[in-house]
Amino acid sequence: MKKKNNGKDFFIFALPGMFCFIAVVIIPFVYGLYLTLTDWNGVSAVKNFVGLSNFTKVFHDTQFWSSLLLTFKYVIAVVILVNVVAFFLAYLLTRGIKGQNFFRAGFFTPNLIGGIVLGYIWQFVFSRVFVSIGEYTGWELFGVSWLSDLNKAFAALVMVSVWQLSGYMILIYVAGFTGLNEDVMEAASIDGANGWIKMRKIVLPLMMSSITICLFLTLSRAFMVYDVNLSLTAGAPYGTTEMAAMHVYEKAFTSRQFGVGQAEAVILFIIVACISGLQVYLTKKREVEA
Amino acid sequence: MKKKNITRYLATGMAGILAVGMLSGCTFGFASDPDDPNEEEKEIPIDMSVDTFSYDSSLEGTKITLLNSKAEIQVALTEMAEVFEEKSGVHIEVMPVTDGDSPYTKVVSLYNSGNPPTMAILDTTDVVALAEEKALDLSGEKWIEEAEQYVTRINDKVYSLPLCIEGRGLIYNKKAIEDALGKEFDPTSIQTLDQFTEFLDQLVDGGIEKPISVAKEDWSLGAHHLQYIYETYDGTSEGAQTVIEEIKDGKMDLETYDRLSEFLDMFDVLKEYNVAEGDPLGADYDEMAIDLADGKTAIWFNGNWAWPNLEEAGAETTDEYGFLPYFLNNDPDDFANRKIQASPSKQVMIDGEVATEKEQAAAKEFFNWIVYSEIGQQMLVKTCNLIPPFANNPNEPVDPLSRDIYNQIHNGTTFNASAIVPNDHWAVLGAAMQKYLADRCDREDLIGEIKDYWAEQE
Repeated sequence: MKKKNNGKDFFIFALPGMFCFIAVVIIPFVYGLYLTLTDWNGVSAVKNFVGLSNFTKVFHDTQFWSSLLLTFKYVIAVVILVNVVAFFLAYLLTRGIKGQNFFRAGFFTPNLIGGIVLGYIWQFVFSRVFVSIGEYTGWELFGVSWLSDLNKAFAALVMVSVWQLSGYMILIYVAGFTGLNEDVMEAASIDGANGWIKMRKIVLPLMMSSITICLFLTLSRAFMVYDVNLSLTAGAPYGTTEMAAMHVYEKAFTSRQFGVGQAEAVILFIIVACISGLQVYLTKKREVEA
Repeated sequence: MKKKNITRYLATGMAGILAVGMLSGCTFGFASDPDDPNEEEKEIPIDMSVDTFSYDSSLEGTKITLLNSKAEIQVALTEMAEVFEEKSGVHIEVMPVTDGDSPYTKVVSLYNSGNPPTMAILDTTDVVALAEEKALDLSGEKWIEEAEQYVTRINDKVYSLPLCIEGRGLIYNKKAIEDALGKEFDPTSIQTLDQFTEFLDQLVDGGIEKPISVAKEDWSLGAHHLQYIYETYDGTSEGAQTVIEEIKDGKMDLETYDRLSEFLDMFDVLKEYNVAEGDPLGADYDEMAIDLADGKTAIWFNGNWAWPNLEEAGAETTDEYGFLPYFLNNDPDDFANRKIQASPSKQVMIDGEVATEKEQAAAKEFFNWIVYSEIGQQMLVKTCNLIPPFANNPNEPVDPLSRDIYNQIHNGTTFNASAIVPNDHWAVLGAAMQKYLADRCDREDLIGEIKDYWAEQE
């Protein structure tokens, strides 16, 4: 009985999903791996097999490694800021403050705006609004456009990303907080635990599953950032804010070196997969149940 | 209860604001909003009474596609296609290349999906990259004789129709200059770099504190500024190719190449008088058009494609704008100081791989219609607002920038040279030029970066 059903269930439920997954993820992925071994320029009918020479070229592409280093800095800044901001805002928004539903919706809104549009809006803010404020008040911080200075342009990228991503993470953390068992908190209070101890010994361990999800989402989204990067700075000033994903695209489509671009994409994939996998493994280990 | 009321008021208030915003068709936004709904379309009437073109009736009902990479003529092209369909019975679907997509990427992905457009409007470099493998050989077409000096030949074969000529240089606002100088301005009176600097000083004395706008965009710096070093080698495309080959092979030493040092001398002058000198990388493209139209500046380095920006900034087609050359040295006999660069920029190729013979014939008819029919000739110039490369087209462009280039072509004060450089030239060296513009590197570093770039090319 059980056996017969198994086959049917598989066909009804798993097969359509698996078909889509194989068609749009596995096949392009394998084909992409194959492309790293060829000298294809994107157009020609013939693809010559060139072995691992594309990977050798990647090692000589200094711009790629510097963009990767920049991406690491960006990921660290974004992951920490997004999660800290989201965690504390979610904490506040589950304390029953006035208008908390309004605030929850408000903080989530930036996440509904597409990255490209968001980038253009903020570009206007950084290079026009801020500069006007600077002219009016004489504050040096806003004297020139943030996007024309390499450190400030990087800060601008981080700011916009934090602004965009926090809303979504707030939602997950809010769900985590509302799921917290009040009995445990009450018991802790009776035992004499103050706010900080409660947070460290009870709330954080119980929130670990939300933290796992949020860290994973922010990590992978920050590593793969492209849209905000493109519309906000487009690598400006002089290519110093070009992140890894953007560099890969430029390599493949602007420089028309598909093989090298694809090889860089594979390297980026391996790095992201390893780091996210490690993160999930580590945080999962710390998850507890009440 | 109270809380509910507040929520209700808030919601009503917000809905009200949104509704007012929608009804009034919100006029706030960027200075040059390409999709501004408030903008009134000005149409120039086309005389349809005369049409001596002979249409091939066997092609009626054929459906072909045209990939358009020149976003600003999308509406005009669609209109042109409609008129062509009315006359010939051939339906042309005009597909735009959306913002953010590069034309090359788009056409390549269409080819890879086995669904290429019958015709594609592309930059010359893209045509050169694709033609031999994908395009139909057009070497036998009659219209070549009308555009002899403007067709692109690849191994002695013609694969594309030059759609338009575009030129670039220092755009000047004649009225702003005359207001500042207090006398009539004759653009031909400036023929050397020293005279140009002197002229700028006069403008400064006349009240225009910083008379020049220099765009920070990498395509402007990397392609339009820097490519003068190849194109002014001898003022021809072949010459540009020669110098590029020599740089690539290491035969040409960039440190002693006179055109490069002359170019940087000129660029230094532009930098010094730049209105955004304090923050050159924060300069805003839309604001430059406004500044020039308002007379806050008198000169903007750009090409005739900048007209829509100027028009949106308030310039009228009756205003006097024109181009000055990119002065390179103090020799008044040097062509670079007297001529502006103008060459065919967009090319149309026909697919030779998937399109049927009938589709190819329909596309060829469309080409002939543009070149030879009275209606096609008018629409190319008046509806699309392009500068025609065809000697038999009697129509004069409408906007002052295109008109100036058109007149200069006829006066012989243009040179036709376009350098075919690797596709990432503008991006990589544009970034290097940005550094130089912002004084974050010196000449030596810049020349070093240009050298490194070329050393990497195969």
